[in-house]
Amino acid sequence: MPHLTTYEKAGIPSVFIIYGDQRECWEWAARLNGVPGLRTVHASRTVPGPEDIDTFIEDLVDGLTRPLTDEEQEGGMWAPREKRILFEGTLEDAEEFYMQTDKVPNLQNASIARYTDGLPIVVPTEGRVEAMLKGTSHRPEEVISFHDDHKLGDRSSQMGNSGRKGDAVRYLPLMRTATVENVATIAVMAGCKPEYMPVLLAIAESGGGCSDGRGGVGFCVSGPIGREIDMNFDVNVLGPGNQANRSIGRAAELMWRNFGGNIPAVTNVGVWGNALTNCIPENAEGLPPGWKGLNEEYGFKKDDNVLVIIPAGAMHRVQFSPGGYRALQKSGHGGIARRLDVKGIPGPHNWLEFFMPGLWASREGALTILMLPEMAQHLYEYGFKSKDEIYEWLYKQSFTSMKEYKTHSWPDMRTNAWMGIEKTSGKHWKELPDDYMVPSINDPRDNNIIVTGGGEESAQWMAGRSAAANPAFNIDTWR
Amino acid sequence: MAEKDRVYKCLNPIGMQMPVKTFPLAPRLDTIEGKTIYVSIGAGGEQDITIPLPGKLESKYPNVNWKITRAAAHLTIAGSVALSEEQMKTADGLIRGVVW
Repeated sequence: MPHLTTYEKAGIPSVFIIYGDQRECWEWAARLNGVPGLRTVHASRTVPGPEDIDTFIEDLVDGLTRPLTDEEQEGGMWAPREKRILFEGTLEDAEEFYMQTDKVPNLQNASIARYTDGLPIVVPTEGRVEAMLKGTSHRPEEVISFHDDHKLGDRSSQMGNSGRKGDAVRYLPLMRTATVENVATIAVMAGCKPEYMPVLLAIAESGGGCSDGRGGVGFCVSGPIGREIDMNFDVNVLGPGNQANRSIGRAAELMWRNFGGNIPAVTNVGVWGNALTNCIPENAEGLPPGWKGLNEEYGFKKDDNVLVIIPAGAMHRVQFSPGGYRALQKSGHGGIARRLDVKGIPGPHNWLEFFMPGLWASREGALTILMLPEMAQHLYEYGFKSKDEIYEWLYKQSFTSMKEYKTHSWPDMRTNAWMGIEKTSGKHWKELPDDYMVPSINDPRDNNIIVTGGGEESAQWMAGRSAAANPAFNIDTWR
Repeated sequence: MAEKDRVYKCLNPIGMQMPVKTFPLAPRLDTIEGKTIYVSIGAGGEQDITIPLPGKLESKYPNVNWKITRAAAHLTIAGSVALSEEQMKTADGLIRGVVW
């Protein structure tokens, strides 16, 4: 979006084709990028493109030639101010105040909470926020900024977040900033304890769950602070019951709402929302010998505390029948053994093979796998002496023929409509024969294994990471 | 005073909106006849519109110098750039699809 206002600012009249239901989101983006009156025409979501053009082709010319209104000729400054004290009154009245909702026409008039995630909150009185601030040495008025250089995703950068050390973090989509006191206020509301503050401030430094403006991210804590603040590493790591796991995850969602200014279908164009509501800890003690924790993967030491952003737009389960996985590893029994062709042969077996078939039939990209310690140990005993060996194995599994790849959706965009260069061959995409094999994963290190949880026989997977990005944030600098 | 009647000051969780300098729209064209107008074909979901669009524009408005520019791959910074600096020097207008 920042680029789309460049042309008007340079004196080039422009007109943009959008969908009508994107109108409010477009207006927010145009305002935030300094040209609130950017002209548009509306395309249809259902009429075929060539036919649809006929309905708005004259409007395109009109957008370039229609004389400007007085409003469109205005420049100035857009500078809304937020006050520090939002409400003054009794606790009962405050509870009601913070639970205000707004009807959103774009959501079929459903209500969206103005300050919360939709649930009651702990009222952030001055005293409670002051107590929360004791969980960090940072001053309340400090603006949350990047403590180190971070390569963010391209879309986050496009939307206005630099990732440069010393720059204020901009919460997307509304590009707001926040202070340590704002984070403490959110922490109170979410039901956090003061000792969670370093983790919460690292979440705030990482973008506060806003991602590129649509959310869809989760968080993993790597390092001993997880045990220090009593996170649950074991069974039900994704479920309710542990205050740290749940309230830290909740705080990220409150940042998404209050820092990012997210209102679904109004200020952002996400679809499903976030599938991972807990902040989860990595179980470093469950790592097999030689396997690095997330902190070490990102260049930190084993005892450093690091917050890592993980994709959480959707989660999938590697499904084994009750006892089925154990029977495979004990004696090579059952359907999994038949698929792996190890019938009657005791484990360890590479259970990852079980869910590979069809994995890239209608998708591309790497995996983040939440792996139970025992299942990680089986892979180690099978022969994977490091996570990198698995990342490489997954990469090799992802190769598919050009004939197949051309029938996928994302490659149309990622290959620049097949006009770019395919990296394994160095050739233009259009030159490659149908039987040429291309990887569905861009880089082996786009994969990510997180050892966590407890129990047996099940793993979760979601989208991978980007090896080119740096989503690891130092928690200890926020103590 | 009873505890339930005690008055508290409660803090604001909303982040700070940074001031934005706003600009007027560029002056409009008196006519498109004889002008150089770029149609940017992005790499997103708008291609079913933007690929056939230049042909339709050329047919309906033949006295315009229509030029096509193609964006880089989707989700890249370059992918959101519709006109290069060189193209901006000669552009009288721009049409771009942003159909998410």
